Amino acid sequence: MLELKNLSFSVVERDEDHHEQQLDIIKDMSYTFKKGKFYAITGPNGSGKTTLSKLIMGINKQTSGGVYFEGNDITHLSITERAKAGIAYSFQHPARFKGITFRDLLAIASKTDDEEKLLKIVRRVGICPLSFLDKPVDSTLSGGEIKKIELATTIARNPKLAIYDEPDTGIDLWTITPMVALLKREQVENKTTTIVVSHNRSFLEAADEILIFNHGEIIYEGDLKKALPILADFRICNFKPCPEGEKDAQCFR
Amino acid sequence: MLNALDKELLKTIAELDKLPQGAYHIRKNGKTLSRATTANINIETNEKENGITVTIAPGTVNESVHIPVILNQGGLNDVVYNTFIVGEDANVTIIAGCGIQCAGPESQGHEGIHEFHIKRGARVKYIEKHYAGGYGSGKRTMNPTTKVFLEENAQVEMELTQLGGVDEANRVNEAVLGPGSSLLVTERVMTDGDQKAASHNKIILEGDDSRSNMVSRSVIKGKSRQDFYASMVAKARSFGHIECDAIIMDNGTNETIPSLRAEHPDAELSHEASIGKIAGDQLMKLMSMGATYEEAVNTIIQGFLR
Ligand SMILES: Nc1ncnc2c1ncn2[C@@H]1O[C@H](COP(=O)(O)OP(=O)(O)OP(=O)(O)O)[C@@H](O)[C@H]1O
Ligand SMILES: [Mg+2]
Repeated sequence: MLELKNLSFSVVERDEDHHEQQLDIIKDMSYTFKKGKFYAITGPNGSGKTTLSKLIMGINKQTSGGVYFEGNDITHLSITERAKAGIAYSFQHPARFKGITFRDLLAIASKTDDEEKLLKIVRRVGICPLSFLDKPVDSTLSGGEIKKIELATTIARNPKLAIYDEPDTGIDLWTITPMVALLKREQVENKTTTIVVSHNRSFLEAADEILIFNHGEIIYEGDLKKALPILADFRICNFKPCPEGEKDAQCFR
Repeated sequence: MLNALDKELLKTIAELDKLPQGAYHIRKNGKTLSRATTANINIETNEKENGITVTIAPGTVNESVHIPVILNQGGLNDVVYNTFIVGEDANVTIIAGCGIQCAGPESQGHEGIHEFHIKRGARVKYIEKHYAGGYGSGKRTMNPTTKVFLEENAQVEMELTQLGGVDEANRVNEAVLGPGSSLLVTERVMTDGDQKAASHNKIILEGDDSRSNMVSRSVIKGKSRQDFYASMVAKARSFGHIECDAIIMDNGTNETIPSLRAEHPDAELSHEASIGKIAGDQLMKLMSMGATYEEAVNTIIQGFLR
């Protein structure tokens, strides 16, 4: 239902000596996501997970390659057009507004401001109390609260393809399990093709397919069992101690 | 008595479809058009005959006063001095506003000086909306001034709004706070084209445990200019905060200068100021929910000025 064809995203950066240097963040990626399946994308920080999500939503513009959604070429469609086609994205770092409430966002997402319908959505999502409706989506929200609201606005759109970028960051222990169950339920009941970017084992266990990213490439696709040794391996290489006297920040990555 | 244009202006500035309930005073082109008083609220022309004095009896609750001003006579610069005396422990809403309908080439203006004496324990919500319209080329100016004196434990909430169409505005707000009193001011101004608006605010925290919060939201479209100055002076153990945010949409300019002065060791003063374009992440979020770029901008601005 979603096909990435040789998709690349690069930026040009200038170093201290003003030499231009091309950074390839997503490298010639090709992959087909199948309708109604649940995917988990994981991989080290900086491996390109968010960049790819934003390429699919149209927030990032690809350097080359194409994106096909339900057989249609959407490579050159805007964010709004992709949203209307049925793609939704929950941001890793959701925007905070001034003077805009959860109710306002839900009304835009669900195209209704009918009180009963809005309450029904909040109940269906389950993880936000009804009292959230009139909360301003501003800097006063806690990190977990804003992630719950972000997730709710994605579900409220009834998307064909839902991408959740680390929905579990800042979420308390008691909400993780219901959140996983909620996304599974949406997948099963509404046939929502679901992509969750996460480092959390609960999401990896819920997924039909695991993708592991490293340096802008998919280095693994398959089930969790065979993914585990690779993930364990990452753990080792990501925490290797810095050589004595090493001041290079790269080392801490 | 009220013609169709008057009614439209009244609706914009005071959300009135018909003559209001309770006490009111409607001023049109410098003269009283209509007035009503209640058992607790008296409205009289003042001694100098250049405005009105509104006296609210102590303990008056759940009543409101509407005092809209409408102008549609070219070349008129209407200056008015209004005084409000709000009795002890009263709890009232005062709705002011000025609408200018300019049809010709001559300038029209309104200068409203509103002085408030809020007695002990009284609570007031003051709502003021300014709007100018009409197709005439004449310049529309509005220079509102508010002076507020809060006695012990008085509470005042002021909403000052200039929605559009005003070519030049010079706004002045001053307040002196007695012990235990509190003042919340929210000012919202939107300018466009070549319009100019300046706002000068001075809040003096004179009594112990007085508190004030001044919030300013500016939207600057076209080539317009807005300047915002706010100073808070703490002379006692008190709390004050200034928050001013400006969004520049096109090629406008903005200057924002909050200033704080503490003359007491237990004063707690703070300010936040920001000027910038509409935030990209807010636009992206709304567009990713299906809004067009224009719809997203509108939603953000409406929320910001809410
Ligand atoms: N517009 C950009 N300009 C420059 N560098 C960028 C840009 N977008 C992304 N990057 C870089 O690309 C790399 C991948 O970023 P991305 O946010 O996709 O990582 P991620 O896998 O989501 O990481 P995390 O797990 O920390 O969220 C990072 O090193 C980031 O700094
Ligand atoms: Mg990320």
